[in-house]
Amino acid sequence: MKNSLLILFSFLFVFHSDVFSQKKYTISGYVKDKANGENSVGASIYIKELLKGNTSSTYGYYSITIEEGDYTIVVSYMGYKDIEQKISLHKDLRINFEIEEDVITTEEFQVIGEREDQNTNEAKMSTVELEVEQIKSLPAIFGEIDILKTIQLLPGVQSAGEGNSGFYVRGGGPDQNLILLDGATIYNASHLFGFFSVFNADAIKDVELIKGGMPAEFGGRLSSVLDITMNDGNFKEYKVDGGIGIISSRLTIQGPIKKDTASFIISGRRTYLGEIIQPFISDSSKFKGSNYYFYDLNAKFNWIVSEKDRLYLSGYFGRDVFTFKNSDDGFGMSTPWGNTIASLRWNHLFNNKLFLNTSVIYTDYQFEVGLEQDQFEFRLYSGVTDWNAKLDFNYLPSILHNVKFGANYIFHKFVPSNASAKSGEVDFNTGDIIINYAHDAAFYASDDWDVTEKLKVHGGLRYSLFQQIGPFKRYNNDEFGNPKDTTVYDKGEAVKLYQGLEPRFTMRYNINNQSSVKASYTQNYQYIHLASFASVSLPTDVWVPSTDLVQPQFSTQYATGYFRNFKENKFESSVEVYYKTMENQIEYSDGALPKDNAGNNVDNAFTFGKGWSYGAELFFKKKFGKVNGWVGYTLSWTKRQFDELNNGEVFFAKYDRRHDVSIVFTYDISKRLTLGATWVYASGNAITLPVSRYVIQGQIVSEYGDRNWYRMDAYHRMDLSLTLKGKETKKFKSSWNFSVYNVYNRQNPYFIYFANEGDVSAGTLNVQAKQVSLFGIIPSIAWNFSF
Amino acid sequence: MKKIKKYIILILPLFLWSCEKDIDIELKTNDEKIVVEGAIEQGIPPMVILTKSVGFFAPTDLESYKNSFIKNAIITVSDGTTSVVLDTFSIQGYTVYSTLNSAIFGQVGKTYHLEIKALGKVLTSTTTIPVPQQINSFFYKDQPGYSNYGYLWFNQTDPPEYGNAYRIFTQRKGKDIRFLPADGSVWDDHLINGLTFEAFIWRGHEPNSTVEEDINETSQYYHQGDTIYIKFCTIDLPHFDFWESFETAAFNDGNPFAAPTTIRTNIEGGALGIWGGYGVTYDTIVAVD
Repeated sequence: MKNSLLILFSFLFVFHSDVFSQKKYTISGYVKDKANGENSVGASIYIKELLKGNTSSTYGYYSITIEEGDYTIVVSYMGYKDIEQKISLHKDLRINFEIEEDVITTEEFQVIGEREDQNTNEAKMSTVELEVEQIKSLPAIFGEIDILKTIQLLPGVQSAGEGNSGFYVRGGGPDQNLILLDGATIYNASHLFGFFSVFNADAIKDVELIKGGMPAEFGGRLSSVLDITMNDGNFKEYKVDGGIGIISSRLTIQGPIKKDTASFIISGRRTYLGEIIQPFISDSSKFKGSNYYFYDLNAKFNWIVSEKDRLYLSGYFGRDVFTFKNSDDGFGMSTPWGNTIASLRWNHLFNNKLFLNTSVIYTDYQFEVGLEQDQFEFRLYSGVTDWNAKLDFNYLPSILHNVKFGANYIFHKFVPSNASAKSGEVDFNTGDIIINYAHDAAFYASDDWDVTEKLKVHGGLRYSLFQQIGPFKRYNNDEFGNPKDTTVYDKGEAVKLYQGLEPRFTMRYNINNQSSVKASYTQNYQYIHLASFASVSLPTDVWVPSTDLVQPQFSTQYATGYFRNFKENKFESSVEVYYKTMENQIEYSDGALPKDNAGNNVDNAFTFGKGWSYGAELFFKKKFGKVNGWVGYTLSWTKRQFDELNNGEVFFAKYDRRHDVSIVFTYDISKRLTLGATWVYASGNAITLPVSRYVIQGQIVSEYGDRNWYRMDAYHRMDLSLTLKGKETKKFKSSWNFSVYNVYNRQNPYFIYFANEGDVSAGTLNVQAKQVSLFGIIPSIAWNFSF
Repeated sequence: MKKIKKYIILILPLFLWSCEKDIDIELKTNDEKIVVEGAIEQGIPPMVILTKSVGFFAPTDLESYKNSFIKNAIITVSDGTTSVVLDTFSIQGYTVYSTLNSAIFGQVGKTYHLEIKALGKVLTSTTTIPVPQQINSFFYKDQPGYSNYGYLWFNQTDPPEYGNAYRIFTQRKGKDIRFLPADGSVWDDHLINGLTFEAFIWRGHEPNSTVEEDINETSQYYHQGDTIYIKFCTIDLPHFDFWESFETAAFNDGNPFAAPTTIRTNIEGGALGIWGGYGVTYDTIVAVD
């Protein structure tokens, strides 16, 4: 605590001393794309004579305060023509830049969007910007490019497995990633058991993944931030983009409401495989009535009210519905789940140095499981609803400092598990609906400071607090889970308060203009958690808040790395090592069953422990040319220790993956034909397998060994895709995409189980280990168009 | 109702492309543990069998199973005042520990301690025989869609305090040679405390049965006209815990979406299994709709 305050004071001192130098003026404005008016995020605005510059913010805004004089400004953005402009700075200037796409792109420059030497020059470390355009030429399963699948191709990011939602960053669980869409939190970012994400790539402008060195403006999750910015909507002309695939189709429409002043974008996507198959399921089939579909809708409207004010209104609505019927058993099951998000944002420029973004956001995530067995009906419902308000200030007092400060408040309502059951007319006693309410707030301040020519430091402090409030009922249970007594809290009554300081610190030292060294130290609190039963993550996993029983998760991460560019920034490489400790990790107690949640607090079934992970990430990327791509390799360990599990001994987390390799490669065979390929390799998952058997009542049952003691076979797979551009006219563009997933049809292990065959008393019993694989080779074809 | 509980755990992965293959794997072996299957009911002597756990891929022929029975254990049962050492009986070649001493036959309301000395280990356990609760009525109903098959139904009123648990067995006259636990044979009063309700039970089968009617699509039903002997028991919560976790484990075997289930035990000393008391009531019905 003391150290953090010291850092904060030292920044204030620095500002103070700046004020007493020579007369300074500010050049500020917006950087936009000339073709459609979209803000350019992360464009470089550079003063040649000073060898210093800045980058445009998420809202395209830049501001540079320097001593008066004559300068040359260079604005550059990968894939766009540089703008060089001479200016005479004797008073504040307001200059907006409109950058044009560079037509020579196909020959020389493939990657757009990022500043050339961003790899070495930014103080940000452990951060990756994904260019949406590049993602589009990678192999896409079912012709749908997917952002979550693509980030799993980066070192340090691991997939939770096939058919599995969630991803793990540096050994952290799937609930430790903050996923933001235009600043709104998304609780479950996947469709179809993790096969697709909720992000429709046609509506996305920018994707940034922060794996470590998390800046102070973000918080609430331990392991990563996936910050996704949507397109604002074309200000100049109407555009339609779409694609038709064998599983789903999508359509995006955008355009100006008033040219250069207001615009909108609407994007939708739906699957129809279920509908196509329906007519082929005969009426007498026991599976009649089974179906699966999902749909997404993104809508955004934005309005430039004046030079100082801008408004955005965006929404997302998505649903998955899975219905399964087996009339044989008299059994039916349906699980609708989905997210609803609405956000209103207001950008305001107080003056040319102080920018404010205010957001008001509503997020709702729900899922429901309904089961019917003859006359019995059981419904399980879980959900999270957030009302969120944020203030984010950006203050640029001089070219040496980029200050951010602000506040964030969320009011949470959790229904971890609301069950109802009945038999015919009799309602079973599933207890009262237990709802958790909480206040979640944070204040932060940070500065990006160019200390010297070579040293840049990002220092920040975040103060967060979380308070659970009533109405709330705590069931105090006996050892069998039956209620002994309850503690009741009234509406608004404080149940428990947690608070803490989260210092964040990153530094970058330029060894020369091709290489740099970076280091970071961060501490994070996480107040909400995902509790998962099975070894795979499912929509039935529930989000729970910290409560009187559940303490916040807490982590400390140290990371350091060496970054080197080659051949004038055409090649990027880095090696990073990290060490992360995590406290108050949650698992269900041994022997917990979902039915225990009825008439009980979900967290009565939890047990707590700690975890830690460490590793090294190697990354090498070629950014230019006909052939480009990257190679990533991660070597890591992730361990846990819980007093009540595994006899208190250390065990490997289920997502401990020793080696993880990704190779991504795109090749422009010709002007119209592009080949994309990916190859991934991951060491086997850790699972708990039985070690012995015994007989009870003539039936053989297994005794399980230490937690996660067994490693399945390694996972590897290659995907290929071919994109063929159709004849392009001024108005109409189209392309065909042929993809093959798992080209050499490897049966990757998804799970192992044992089948008993025979009869023990007749002595003919045989136990056979079986490995289940999920996806073999899957070809697909899609047609994309835009006009 | 019990089936639904199982389906909650089973989350269906339905996928068109998934497939399965046999593999060879090496499992490390645990030390062998003693497995206790012991029971005591009112009016009859306590009965215990002891076996050993074996390595996962160890041979499972009849000889090996018989060899896993422990023959030279010293087992003592006591009710707090009387303490009896059990004798060894050989039934069809299997070793069973029991006694003819009526002083230690089960009595309602009593607590029974078990002590086992075997293979150099000492194991202990405790169970009770709760007051036997009654079922209001049993009846049979044809299942919709069938004219001769249906579940065995019952109407029950659960007492108002928490902590009651039950286990049910049936035997069809002329078809079953002994009482068999129902498929999903135990329930407690967590959801049904104090309620009067109706539910059905799935007919249980001999373990690993290959008889046609035990494996076809009507295997959970009884047949119209069956004479069904019903043994309805009241058990204590640790006893219930064991059977519930055991049945869940047996059911989940092979389900990749279920967490590996640890079967709870009420035996102390590093063993597996159960020492359970039953408060029993008997009933007979003829399955007529």
